[in-house]
Amino acid sequence: MNALEVKNLTKTFNGLTAVDNASFMVPEGSIFGLIGRNGAGKTTTIRMMMNIYLPDNGEVILRGTKVGQEFKNKVGYLPEERGLYKKMKVLDTLLFFSEIKGLYGKEVREKALEYLERFDLADRKNSKIEDLSKGNQQKVQFIATILHAPEFIILDEPFSGLDPINTNLLKEIIIEEKKNGKVIILSTHLMDFAEKMCDHIAMIDEGKIILNGSLKEIKENYAQKNISLTYNGNLSFLNKNPIIESVSDYGNTTGIKVKDHTHIQELLKLLVNNNIEVKNFSANEISLQEIFIELAGKDENELMEVSNV
Amino acid sequence: MFNYRLIGLLKRELQEKLLSKTFIIMTISIPVLMFIIFGVQTVIMSYDGDENTKLKLITESEKLTNNFKNELENLPFIQNGYYNFDYLTMPQIKLKEYLEKVKQEILDEKLTGVIFISDSSLMSKNVEYYSKAPNNATVTHKLNWHLNKVLVDNYFINRNLTDEDLSFARRGVDFTGYKVSKDKDIKEEGYGNFILSFFLSFLLYLSLIMIGQMTMQSVIEEKNSRVIEVLLSSVSSSELMSSKIFGASITGVLQMAVWFIPILIVMFTSVFALPEEFGFQISVFQIVYLLFNFFLGLLTFLGLFVMVGSIFDNVQDVQSGMWPILMLIMIPFFIAISVANNPTNPIAEIASMLPFASIIVMPARITIIDVPLWQFIISIIINIVTIVAIFPLAGKIFRVGILRTGKKPKWSEIVRWLKYSY
Repeated sequence: MNALEVKNLTKTFNGLTAVDNASFMVPEGSIFGLIGRNGAGKTTTIRMMMNIYLPDNGEVILRGTKVGQEFKNKVGYLPEERGLYKKMKVLDTLLFFSEIKGLYGKEVREKALEYLERFDLADRKNSKIEDLSKGNQQKVQFIATILHAPEFIILDEPFSGLDPINTNLLKEIIIEEKKNGKVIILSTHLMDFAEKMCDHIAMIDEGKIILNGSLKEIKENYAQKNISLTYNGNLSFLNKNPIIESVSDYGNTTGIKVKDHTHIQELLKLLVNNNIEVKNFSANEISLQEIFIELAGKDENELMEVSNV
Repeated sequence: MFNYRLIGLLKRELQEKLLSKTFIIMTISIPVLMFIIFGVQTVIMSYDGDENTKLKLITESEKLTNNFKNELENLPFIQNGYYNFDYLTMPQIKLKEYLEKVKQEILDEKLTGVIFISDSSLMSKNVEYYSKAPNNATVTHKLNWHLNKVLVDNYFINRNLTDEDLSFARRGVDFTGYKVSKDKDIKEEGYGNFILSFFLSFLLYLSLIMIGQMTMQSVIEEKNSRVIEVLLSSVSSSELMSSKIFGASITGVLQMAVWFIPILIVMFTSVFALPEEFGFQISVFQIVYLLFNFFLGLLTFLGLFVMVGSIFDNVQDVQSGMWPILMLIMIPFFIAISVANNPTNPIAEIASMLPFASIIVMPARITIIDVPLWQFIISIIINIVTIVAIFPLAGKIFRVGILRTGKKPKWSEIVRWLKYSY
C-alpha cells in the first residue's frame, strides 16, 4: 500500500528543468530515501510534494487524493535550510509551530516539555532562539517538526551540521517514529545513511529519477553482476578481459562489474590464476554509492567529493 | 477565511509588533515629539528678534515729526528700549544725500533703517522704508497701525470730527471666519481644525512609513532566517501574507487610536483649556471614519511594502524598491498639507478620491470642510477596489519572492514572476 504517489512531476525555472518527469511511490510505514547529489532536484521535488511549489506538470497523490492543505496538516517538515524566529523563545516557538498545524493547549505544551527534556534543552525553554548554539537550534527545529505528531515526517538533509551524539539521537527518534507507523521521507546526499536507514529509495540525478524501489530488491538486482573485492596485487590484467564490464576503486574496496552474473566464478578463477591475494570476495554486496555511480555515470572523485560535504 | 492557521500567524504577528520595544517607544514618543516640534516652532515664530532696532523717522515738516514722536514715544516697545527712534525733519530733495551719509551705518547694521514720510504721503499713505532688510515684517507690522493713526489724525484734523469718528476711520477691516456646514448653527471657525488637519496628515504619514518599514523588515527577516519554508509547510503563502498585512494593519489602527486619545481628552474634557480660536470640532463619526480609512490605507500600502520586502533579501537592496512607495505616500502628504491653505483646492479634491492619495488627503479635508457624502463613498470604494487589485498581484510576487535568495532580481524578472505558476 502506498501512502504517497508522485506522478510525473516536472518543474522548470527560467528554462532550466529542475525536476524532470519524476515518478515514485512512498509505501506506508516506510523510511523512504530521496537520494542524489546537491542540486539534483531533491528539495524542489519535496517542495512540490508539500505544495510549496506548484508543479508545471504532474501531481502528488496522498492515499488516493491529490495533496493540498490536508497533507500540510499531516506533515512535519524539516527543510534543508533551517530557520526559526530568532527573537522568539524556545517553548513559544514550539507552541507556535504546533498551533499553525491546528494543535494547541495543555497537552501540546506538556509534550513539548517532554521533548525538550529528552533533547537536553529543558533548562533553555525560556531562552531566545538566537541565544542557543547552532546545534541546539537544530534540535529545537527538529522538535518543532515532530511535536504535532505528524503522520508524515519529511526531513531534508537532517544530519547536516549535527554532532555524532545528536545524529544518533535523531536516528533513534526516526526509527521510533517508524515503529509508530509514521511515514518518513528522508532526503540526503549521504549514501551511507540512506543505505543504513531506508527501506525504499528513489535516486534522483539532474532532475530525473534514475532508480526507485525497495532497497533490498535494488541491491539484490545489482549485486548479481557486482563483486566487492579486497585484495593485494595488480588488477591491470582485468582491463582488457571480455567478461569484465568495469573496475572501480573505492579506496578500501574495489568494485568489479562483470557483464553477466554467470561470469562471477570465472572472475574468481582469473584472480587466483593471476596470483592476486584475495582477502575478501563478496558477490552479494554492493553499496548504494556504487549503484549510484554506475547509474549516474559520474566518475568517483566527483561523487566522493560530494558525499564528503 | 479565518482558520486556526491564520489566527496562529496573526497572534504571533501582533505579539511581535505590539510588544516590541520600538513600537511602544514610537507610539508614545511620536505625539510627544510632535508637540515639541510644534512648540519649538511656535516659540521661534513668536520670537521677533527685533531688540536693538534703531530707526530714523523723517518727515518734511517739524509739526508732523512731532506728531509721530508723540504717538510713538509712549509705546511699550520704545519705552523698554527695544526700538530706538531718531526723529528728523528734512525736505525730500535732501533725502538722497542723507541716505548716502547713513548708508555705511545701515550696512554695518548700526542703523536698522530709515522711514521717510513725505508730504505727499499724507494723502497717499505711501511710506518709504530704507533698510538692509526692507521686507522685515516684524518692523513694518509693528509700526503700521501707529503710523496709520498719525496719518489719519492728520488728515481729519481740520474737519471737526469726533473722537469716535476718528477711531472708526483708524480701524482696519477684521475678518472673522464662520464655517457654513450642514449643521443648523453657523459656527465661528477658529484655527483648531487646521492644526488638527495638519497633525492628522503628519501622523498618518509617519505611521504609514513606520508600520510599512516594520512589516517589510519582518518579511526580510523571515526570508533571511529561512523560517519561511517551515511556515510554508504548514500554511499557504497567501495565508502568510494576509496575516502579515492584517496583523500590521491592526497594530497601526491601535497606534492611531492611542494617538487619538489626547485629541479626545482635549475635546471632551476641560483638562486642557484651549484658547477659543484653537478650539476644534471633530465628530465621533469622523473619528470612526478616520480609523477605518487608515485601516484601508494600511492594507493598501502594506500590500506594497510586503511585496517589496519579499523581492529583496537585504535592507540595502530594499531601498531601491521602496522609493515608488514613498512617492505614493509623500506626494499625497504634500497635497494634504496644502489643504490647510486652501481647503477647496481642486487638486486636493481630486486627490482625495484617487487610489493611494485618498488615504492621506481625505482625512485632511474632512477635518476642515464638509466633504459631500458621495465623495466619501467614492473614496472608500476606490480604496477597496485598489486593495482587491493589489492583493493578488502582491500575492503572486510574494509567493515567488519569499523563496528566492541571492542575487538582486531585475525588474523584468519580477514582471515575469507574475506569470509563474508557482
